Amino acid sequence: MRLLIAELLKLWTTPRTTLGLLLGMLAVVALGTVGMLAAATDEVRMSQTILDDLLSFAAVSATFALIVGVLVVTWEWRHGTMTETFLAAPRRERVVGAKALAAAAAGAVLAAAAVALTLAVAYVWISDEAAVDFGAVWATVGRLVLAGAIWGVLGVGIGALVRSQVAAIVLVFVWFFVLEPLLRVLIEGSDYLPGAALQALTEGGDDVLSSAGGALVATVYAIAAALLGTLATLQRDVA
Amino acid sequence: MIEVHALTKRYGRTVAVDDLSFRVEPARVTGFLGPNGAGKTTTLRTLLGLVRPTSGTATVLGMPYRELDEPTRRVGAVLEATSYHPGRSGRNHLRVAAAAGGLTRSRVDEVLELVQLSADAHRRLRGYSLGMRQRLHLATALLGDPEVLVLDEPANGLDPAGMRWLRDLLRRLADGGRTVLVSSHVLAEVEQIADEVVIIHRGRFVAQSSTAELAARATAATRVRSPQAARLQEALAGQQIGVRGTGDDALAVDAAPERVGELAAAHGVVLHELVAERATLEEAFLELTGGETTR
Repeated sequence: MRLLIAELLKLWTTPRTTLGLLLGMLAVVALGTVGMLAAATDEVRMSQTILDDLLSFAAVSATFALIVGVLVVTWEWRHGTMTETFLAAPRRERVVGAKALAAAAAGAVLAAAAVALTLAVAYVWISDEAAVDFGAVWATVGRLVLAGAIWGVLGVGIGALVRSQVAAIVLVFVWFFVLEPLLRVLIEGSDYLPGAALQALTEGGDDVLSSAGGALVATVYAIAAALLGTLATLQRDVA
Repeated sequence: MIEVHALTKRYGRTVAVDDLSFRVEPARVTGFLGPNGAGKTTTLRTLLGLVRPTSGTATVLGMPYRELDEPTRRVGAVLEATSYHPGRSGRNHLRVAAAAGGLTRSRVDEVLELVQLSADAHRRLRGYSLGMRQRLHLATALLGDPEVLVLDEPANGLDPAGMRWLRDLLRRLADGGRTVLVSSHVLAEVEQIADEVVIIHRGRFVAQSSTAELAARATAATRVRSPQAARLQEALAGQQIGVRGTGDDALAVDAAPERVGELAAAHGVVLHELVAERATLEEAFLELTGGETTR
């Protein structure tokens, strides 16, 4: 518990990084939401599906959650503070565990912030459309927050495995924005890849995975990465 | 109490620590001495559970560091002044450490006061000088009021006043019954701080003795300045005393100042300066090891 508090405090006391990420994400979400609403035809704008479309864009928050997870581990290696962290908690699996929980919390907060902004913009824009029911989105909101939390844990696992901040972030972007999209076009049955699983979760399921199935597969990836990251961390000499 | 037994650490083909054994007793300050690259830092990091030994053991308070229940309250360590997040303030750095160690925020203010950083506690660490960061890390080590204190090259970045302050602090802690281990590659530093020294070289144990004994064994050396430096150099060389010019009118002499002064008087040489030099660590090594360990 005290390690979790320490990890949350680490995030809280580096406001430039954490606020920068939060504001960067909100800027992306605001632009996306406004752009979508402006571009939508009247027919689309007046239908219930507009909210689903907007919220599926807010799922970009999961990528930011992933980056927070990566940072929570890699900045300690980068700045050498892992030494003090391990001096205070020489049982390193507890440190990785606390980081995974802290990143899950931060990821959930990021997702909640993205959703709140999206709904706020949408409410101002289209609340007078009788056909749009804002009460019907709570399940989607819950799935997005869950996705943020899961991807925070995945980020911690990747960070613990790779250790280099730049390498880990490059890896994340290359995989989720280049390799996996490519594989999904080329290969049958690629619906079980991590990005596809998360998408199934955030968009309420696809042909292969239901949203619950997507959550399960994504969680398996996150836990597996965190476990491998823990093993790697236990082996490492902090010199 | 600290106990290192038959400790060996290899990195690939490099042997950083080689079958090293020694004990550090409480209630005194022990210096851990050796040139850069002797294996001091690797030994200390192994002791603190940060590095896995290839073989052998290192224990603190009777057990491996990783098995300590409340490490922050039992052992404090200062390892390097580069271990900080530049965007965090001094106080927040300590708050994080206090949270991880289960300590209160009031303790943070106490240690800030102790290392005289209260006025700068709100500033980001990016703007701290090396000496301030050293004191911050010392504050971190002292947070849990630990029984054992381990410091790796704490003198780096401290000005003379800071050194004196550190010396007094370590003295008080040792007199209070704590175990204090301080590494350094500078003999003069350790001589002032430590009651006892453990010397290692190339990862191997060289000697353990009281500081006074070590100082007595060290070779004498003198720095001398004279307008007739050439004549003095000739006279010294005639007595088989090692001597070399160090620019202008200055000479470095491998003999006690008494001897140099007497010789100068005998030859009617005017002296402008006659200073006893502290023996270098290298020379102390030669003396202690019969010249076998160096080069």
